[in-house]
Amino acid sequence: MKILVTVKEVAEAEDDFEIDGLDIDERYLEYDLNEWDDYAVEEAVTIAEDGDDVEVVSVTIGPERAEETVRMALAKGVDRAIRVWDDDLESADMLDVGTKADILAAVVEEEDPDLVFSGVQANDDGFGATGVALAEVVDMEWGAVVNDLDLDAEGGVAHVHRELEGGVEELTDIELPAVLTIQTGINEPRYASLRGIRQAQRKPLDVQGLGDLGLDASVLESAVSRTAMFEPESESDVTVFEGGAEEEAGQLADLLRDKGVVEG
Amino acid sequence: MQLTAEQEAIRNVVREFAVEEIQPVAEECDANEEFPEEVWDGLAELDLTGLTVPEEYGGFDADPVTYAVVNEAVAYGTLAVATALSVHCLATSCIAEFGDEAQKERWLPEMVSGRPVGAFCLSEPGAGSNPAQMTTTAERVSGPAGDEYVIDGDKQWITNGRRAGVYIVFAKTAPGEITQFVVPGDVDGLSVGEPEEKLGLRASDTTSLTFDDVRIPAENRLTPEGEGLSSALSILTGGRIGIAAQSVGLAQDALDRAVDYAQEREQFDGPIADIQSIRHKLADMHTNTQASRLLVHDAARQKAEGTDGFPTAASMAKYTASETAMDVTNEAVQIHGGYGYTREFDVERLYRDAKILTIYEGTSQIQKTIIARSLLD
Ligand SMILES: Cc1cc2nc3c(=O)[nH]c(=O)nc-3n(C[C@H](O)[C@H](O)[C@H](O)COP(=O)(O)OP(=O)(O)OC[C@H]3O[C@@H](n4cnc5c(N)ncnc54)[C@H](O)[C@@H]3O)c2cc1C
Repeated sequence: MKILVTVKEVAEAEDDFEIDGLDIDERYLEYDLNEWDDYAVEEAVTIAEDGDDVEVVSVTIGPERAEETVRMALAKGVDRAIRVWDDDLESADMLDVGTKADILAAVVEEEDPDLVFSGVQANDDGFGATGVALAEVVDMEWGAVVNDLDLDAEGGVAHVHRELEGGVEELTDIELPAVLTIQTGINEPRYASLRGIRQAQRKPLDVQGLGDLGLDASVLESAVSRTAMFEPESESDVTVFEGGAEEEAGQLADLLRDKGVVEG
Repeated sequence: MQLTAEQEAIRNVVREFAVEEIQPVAEECDANEEFPEEVWDGLAELDLTGLTVPEEYGGFDADPVTYAVVNEAVAYGTLAVATALSVHCLATSCIAEFGDEAQKERWLPEMVSGRPVGAFCLSEPGAGSNPAQMTTTAERVSGPAGDEYVIDGDKQWITNGRRAGVYIVFAKTAPGEITQFVVPGDVDGLSVGEPEEKLGLRASDTTSLTFDDVRIPAENRLTPEGEGLSSALSILTGGRIGIAAQSVGLAQDALDRAVDYAQEREQFDGPIADIQSIRHKLADMHTNTQASRLLVHDAARQKAEGTDGFPTAASMAKYTASETAMDVTNEAVQIHGGYGYTREFDVERLYRDAKILTIYEGTSQIQKTIIARSLLD
């Protein structure tokens, strides 16, 4: 059995940042593994540990810098990694969901996995659509926002819980091959162990360009373009009470009286 | 100071563990004088309890720079845990370096898994800076069960005293002749004293030990008779890098908290971080912490390369870094003003914790004695 996990390195802005053109100024960004993907990796690695002969492969679309993050996934137990990048990708303004789905689909064609895990969303651009779009392109079954997974590898079925709004959960059986988008909380992601980190340095990390995947720069064409980025003006009216509990209670009472919430 | 990709990744993971799993429990463990055992189990899962154990016994066999990087990161969580870990590592290092095959097989794979915890028993009530003054004895006797040693005496300030299941013990086999032994925790005649009530490092388990007619098989002798002290000193020289690195981790923790607080706290219509004397304090703290880190990494590199200058480098690193931790925590409290003097803020604990760094594993005075000797004698 083979599980392909899509792994993204996301940018996180510091508390105070500036916007430069259409993006947050590079100086204020730090990079890390996308939180949802951490859960997806854990889910795949646990299945591999519990099962026989399960290979876990990760795929990342990202520059060389992302290898640090990819190595961390390898350290947690992913067997080998693929990173897709080349000059065309480097010079693209933005990768929209369609582009990412097409690129990942080419990797799925090549790897032929039984299961694909992606995160529900990425905590930087937050399209929240890549996994599902990928399923559509490769014509696989799919399940979104999976927060519990019971895999019947022999029967070729994934029994999944999906988190719906309002605290409702749905139980679904999905036939493999399938794409599942993994929700946070499905498991407890591990820390990489030191031995895992050492082994990760020696695990295969294969870099492929669009050409290697049978694609060309036309895959980058997009109907979507970012036109502006700004921080919305936020209006807030905060009163901070200071002092002991009694003083604070008094201040709160004064405020409520002032605002006419209580009389007296 | 360029770290390898592996060292960098290790630093990031252990640092994340320190922030997510250790820092949140540090205050409570200090208040209750309780060692966080679940954190210890987490360290074991990360392979840290096998840090200085050879790979053939399941350990990680970290190079000295990695050892320093890990110690700094764990101490960024809390010093009590870092101290417990480095003492455990002293114990595994002794067994790995001086034990025969049978002793290594017996102890190391289990200690790699985190239990039994190791302790290192050199100091005594009457022998601290000068361990040669110790009075604990180990007498060789022949008994029905073969040759044995009978250990009698008191040890003092033993980190992991209660938690440990294996003790590395130094005792005199003849006047002026110190020898190293490994003593299982469950032997008859070994009793553990009450926990010390300490200024800082309160979550660390520090006790006395009494050996009363403790009998151990002769195979448990780790070094030839009379070679125990030089072996202890060589292990401790390496250990100094660990303590120095922990000092850097603690100083960095205090510095980070001081930077945050200075930007939040407002006086005279602005953050105190706008006041030049506060800015200069932070500049000093940052510079001295980084200088200490560089000395630690230099000592670690020298150890890895086996240079003659390594013992002096280790002493310079331990001396500078521990005194820096004292200075930085002192200033961190100052920057916090009255709030820093209360338990509500972590810098109060860091200030109390820092003091031990200039005392154990060779006081600052002893480090200076070593440094001066290399210069003059
Ligand atoms: C919390 C804690 C944990 C510890 N953990 C362990 C442990 O796990 N295992 C272990 O074996 N020990 C441990 N120790 C003991 C520690 O290593 C000793 O306390 C230390 O070596 C100092 O010895 P002492 O306390 O007897 O002080 P002393 O040696 O009595 O020193 C008193 C003062 O005299 C100074 N002094 C002494 N000799 C000289 C000299 N020649 N030149 C200049 N100044 C000198 C010292 O610097 C110090 O200022 C621990 C101690 C503490 C407090």
